[in-house]
Amino acid sequence: MSSAIEVRDLFVQYRTKKGEKLDAVKGLTFDVKQGEIVGFLGPNGAGKSSTLKALMGFVEAKSGEARIFGETAGTPDARKRIGYLPEVAMYYPFLTPMETLTMYGELQGMRGKLLRNEIEDLLEVVGIAHAKNKLNRSMSKGMLQRVGIAQSLLGNPELLVLDEVTSGLDPVGRKELRNILKARQEQGTTLFFSSHELAEVDMLCDRILLIHKGKFVEERDMHELKSTLRNFYVTYRGEASMLGLTDAWNENPDGTKTARFDAKDGLVSAITRLQEKGGQILDVVSQEGSLEDYFIDTVEAAA
Amino acid sequence: MNISAYRALARCVVLESLRRKDLWVVAILGFVILLASSTLGFFGFTGLEIFAKDMAVTVLGMFSTIIAILTSCRLVPDEVKNRTLYPLLARPITRLDLLVGKLIGAVAVTWISFLMLAALTALALTIFHVKFELIMVQYLLAKMMGLVVVCGFSMAFSVYMTPSASATVAFLVAFGAPMVTRGLILASAGNPALTPVCKAINTILPQTSLFDLGGRTVYIGWGLVPVWVMGFLFVYGLFYSGAMLFFSWLKFRRQAV
Repeated sequence: MSSAIEVRDLFVQYRTKKGEKLDAVKGLTFDVKQGEIVGFLGPNGAGKSSTLKALMGFVEAKSGEARIFGETAGTPDARKRIGYLPEVAMYYPFLTPMETLTMYGELQGMRGKLLRNEIEDLLEVVGIAHAKNKLNRSMSKGMLQRVGIAQSLLGNPELLVLDEVTSGLDPVGRKELRNILKARQEQGTTLFFSSHELAEVDMLCDRILLIHKGKFVEERDMHELKSTLRNFYVTYRGEASMLGLTDAWNENPDGTKTARFDAKDGLVSAITRLQEKGGQILDVVSQEGSLEDYFIDTVEAAA
Repeated sequence: MNISAYRALARCVVLESLRRKDLWVVAILGFVILLASSTLGFFGFTGLEIFAKDMAVTVLGMFSTIIAILTSCRLVPDEVKNRTLYPLLARPITRLDLLVGKLIGAVAVTWISFLMLAALTALALTIFHVKFELIMVQYLLAKMMGLVVVCGFSMAFSVYMTPSASATVAFLVAFGAPMVTRGLILASAGNPALTPVCKAINTILPQTSLFDLGGRTVYIGWGLVPVWVMGFLFVYGLFYSGAMLFFSWLKFRRQAV
């Protein structure tokens, strides 16, 4: 499968108002394959937005290379294939969603009835068709975010680059958005988005890229990560030792013991040993691990 | 040339200006002029054609320049400040396309305001029994070309400075450049060694006074401006605005947003 995004040794540098140089992205390298949904994670100030801005050509990379479908990132040819949702964007307060989207559509090279029909459809999809002729200034943050989502979907882009996609949306809006994005992926659209909402990442992504202080930390397949994060617990009574199977075990106040295993194999071995040694198994629990814990642990380890 | 992008961007500037009620302010201003003129007419101050015309061209020239500067100076900085720039630059357009579209929008708003004011002023002039002369059309055309130059340098300043600083400098240039030009001519005549420097400064300065045919319009009996002069004004206006656009693009093309 060919790449939708290719980033090689990307450096992004800003100059502060005092003239000091600030390295926002330091030698980032990654790929996003066509048709994938990839979450771009990192704590505040990690360089996520700077990377997305470099991909869009809003800032110039100090060095390195970024390509979108083989085209140099930031060029009009590359942007033709991207739908972009900025982290915080306002839409002209004195225009209506209809006028706003018409303008973006015309800038995209669309026009006429085709454009009008697509806008009508998109406003329906994002749930603001009823407000299409209201001025943007009279809309809530969530409704403006929906205008933003609609503008990013205009022209049926092959790649969606979304910065803090669920910002300002209520739980219903988030669910609707997830459905929209999933539907787009099924049509072959590639999604690359940054988010602090780990629950969204969990529900949407095929893969995550984690960065910290402008540097790449790690890349994980979501399915593999989830299975890694799953923990298995056995609570038992008896003298059987878990030595060699796990280091994570403790004695409870009532005299029972609980052992934790990262993998199912460990749990199976523990049960076998308990049966051999005459231990009494009181409880067996399989628990989903927290992505938040993974995020915090990984970022702290990278610090 | 991305005509559909220019049209889309310019329409957005005009719609915003219309809904923000900028043009209504112009209309109210025009009605005030009309009201003042009719009051003077009511009290019998007729036969003052020259005075009335002088007032009309002064007011028209001043207010249209103010509108041009205030409209153009906020175009790019407002896009950055309000973060409306990101979805725009995410489209397959160049930054030059964006500047051209915005400039066309600013010129359109300025021209609409100017023509509204001109129509109301013309109405006011009828109260003073001022007759229509063809030079008035030439005055309007030349002024419209001059306003393009004002929009051009105002937008260019706004790319390099804060909106308030750029507006201040634009006002100084728009209203002060003719005085500086006169000063340069005197300096050059007084000390021929300074002539090259004076000429260089004069070339850089926008010659906004060239576009002001107010004097010819006010005084009765002056003939029409030759067509070649109008043609020259058109070419100069186009060249100067183009240069200002290029000047804006030099900074904006690589500006991190």
